[in-house]
Amino acid sequence: MQNDRLLAYFMILPVVIAVLAFVIGPTYNVGTLSLTKIVMGQERGFGTFSNFTALTADPVFWLVLKNTAIWILGGTLLCVLVGLGVGAFLSVDSRLTTGLRALILLPWVLPDVVTAMAWKWMLHGQVGIIGQTLETTGLTEETISFLGDPNLVMWTLVVVLIWRKMPLVALILCAAIRSVPDDQIEAARMDGATAFERFRFVVIPNIAFSLTAVTVISMIWITAEFALPWIMTGGGPANSSQIMATYIYQQSFEFFNWGIASAMSVINLVMLASIVALYLYINRRSWASEGSK
Amino acid sequence: MGSVTLTNIRKSYGAVEVLHGIDLDIADGEFTVLVGPSGCGKSTLLRSIAGLETISDGEISLDGEIINKRQPKERDIAMVFQNYALYPHMTVAKNMAFSLRLAKEAQSEIDRKVKDAAEILDLVPLLDRYPRQLSGGQRQRVAMGRAIVRDPKVFLFDEPLSNLDAKLRVQMRAEIKELHQRLKTTTIYVTHDQIEAMTMADKIVVMRGGHVEQIGSPLELYDRPASVFVAGFIGSPAMNFLPGSAKGGAIQTPNGDVIQGLPDGIAEGRAVIAGVRPEDLRLADQGIAARVVVIEPTGAETQLMLRTADTDITLTTRDRVSVAPGDTVHLQIEPGKLHCFDAETEMSLRTDDT
Ligand SMILES: Nc1ncnc2c1ncn2[C@@H]1O[C@H](COP(=O)(O)OP(=O)(O)OP(=O)(O)O)[C@@H](O)[C@H]1O
Ligand SMILES: [Mg+2]
Repeated sequence: MQNDRLLAYFMILPVVIAVLAFVIGPTYNVGTLSLTKIVMGQERGFGTFSNFTALTADPVFWLVLKNTAIWILGGTLLCVLVGLGVGAFLSVDSRLTTGLRALILLPWVLPDVVTAMAWKWMLHGQVGIIGQTLETTGLTEETISFLGDPNLVMWTLVVVLIWRKMPLVALILCAAIRSVPDDQIEAARMDGATAFERFRFVVIPNIAFSLTAVTVISMIWITAEFALPWIMTGGGPANSSQIMATYIYQQSFEFFNWGIASAMSVINLVMLASIVALYLYINRRSWASEGSK
Repeated sequence: MGSVTLTNIRKSYGAVEVLHGIDLDIADGEFTVLVGPSGCGKSTLLRSIAGLETISDGEISLDGEIINKRQPKERDIAMVFQNYALYPHMTVAKNMAFSLRLAKEAQSEIDRKVKDAAEILDLVPLLDRYPRQLSGGQRQRVAMGRAIVRDPKVFLFDEPLSNLDAKLRVQMRAEIKELHQRLKTTTIYVTHDQIEAMTMADKIVVMRGGHVEQIGSPLELYDRPASVFVAGFIGSPAMNFLPGSAKGGAIQTPNGDVIQGLPDGIAEGRAVIAGVRPEDLRLADQGIAARVVVIEPTGAETQLMLRTADTDITLTTRDRVSVAPGDTVHLQIEPGKLHCFDAETEMSLRTDDT
């Protein structure tokens, strides 16, 4: 018995060390750094909230929060909604959909940098093919600069984000929809449900678990997505597409404001953790209310 | 009301036709059982009536109205599925109320109907449970409750008992029959279990390979099977078949046994099959010679597995027998209990029925 115990601990030791070294360690560092006053790259005393107060006084920080909300909440919501629609379409068996199921992953396998550069040029204000096409076909009066317009840029980024992240969501949901037992759908048909009612009252509850899972996962992906916005806009114009990830990068590696950057990282972490906690709670509750499986 | 008429129903999947022109009349209130071996098209026919499959040709009418172009929900037919098909995220009450909710009935009306159905089916204490918290038999009853609340013209059942254990199956069989006697709703019930068919049906439809083989009441099929197939399918243990040929008004088997009782007018030398049910055979001093292979006493009756020179024969008797494996016995057929079939068409040679 005692020996088994020791062996067990020994076996998980490498993982414990790795987690300590690469997750807990840096997190601890960022945490302490955020509470340390730093002037000109030099540490000047621990145990202060000055980094946080400086942040709240920074008007850009509030803009960043708003942009991040659009980025994460808008991005996730649209990603899951569009993914659900596309997934439902793909779940229907036909020659078209079997082909599409394979093709749809294309945006997913491209490297971030390639995606970002390609979209950046396609959306370019002067030479971008999208703006030009819209103008020449007469849909818009003048060429829209999707990435240059402060009111548009955030939503343009979200659209590109969805183009990139939605396919996997759609495939996961497609698989979930296809695993809904046929006889439940048929029973609903007999019960008089229209196609929409069958989707709403039978399919959706059956895939609720996958749906919450992909929502959390997309939210985490999107929160962690950095290359796409950084390469496409670098946070501009005039911070109008600055989000947490890019602002933290800018503060730490361009302006070397380590304290501010760590404070923001801590806020980011708390946000992310609470999102995950909330979903775990909802998931647990919805499963509990349906009885033990 | 709920009389169903099927006229020349055909159904093809791609190039493969699985129903080859089914004609069937089902009177209002009748309990009809579709029975047949696996793959013969029972489910396909039932699902066509439900509207879950579109038929390739023919006509389905309910109370004189042609319904085969209608959506399932416009047919006023309810179906109970083999795997129950309950909605796992809804309680028993919600499962039963679903169709009524979709039909936008008043809440008070929904509550009343669900309560009535739950009382009939003994589900009242389970109304707030989820399907996964129920036993197989309880789920089956919920599935029936879901059909009952709608008060449809026709109930369809597709092998509803095949997932239950043997004891529960017998109990549910009785419950379904009792329910039918109470509600008197036209019922079409699919099974491949001939005992279920015999015990429950007013009318049995024996299907084979996408055709209707014979239609009749359970005892009609038992007493006057139209073909070797029906004769072998209905009844347990199955009917014994002895091939032979007509000779001098009797049947002569290849190893020389003579079986009396050939119908009149069969040409001399014609190849025929003699059919005799195990309970219509008795041990005698002379007759068909057979060797005892296995003796299976069940208490009430005894089953003997016998072997003649070329066929196996089963005999059941309520008498206590004193034979041992290896003994040679002689068999007599109860007068008037012989079934004769043409060896080539396998159809009955009976002449006395209309
Ligand atoms: N979707 C389908 N596509 C092609 N062929 C099918 C399809 N569904 C059923 N069939 C074929 O139709 C025939 C009848 O099937 P059906 O399910 O009606 O049989 P069944 O009598 O209900 O059998 P069982 O007792 O096994 O349920 C079978 O040969 C089957 O292979
Ligand atoms: Mg079947």
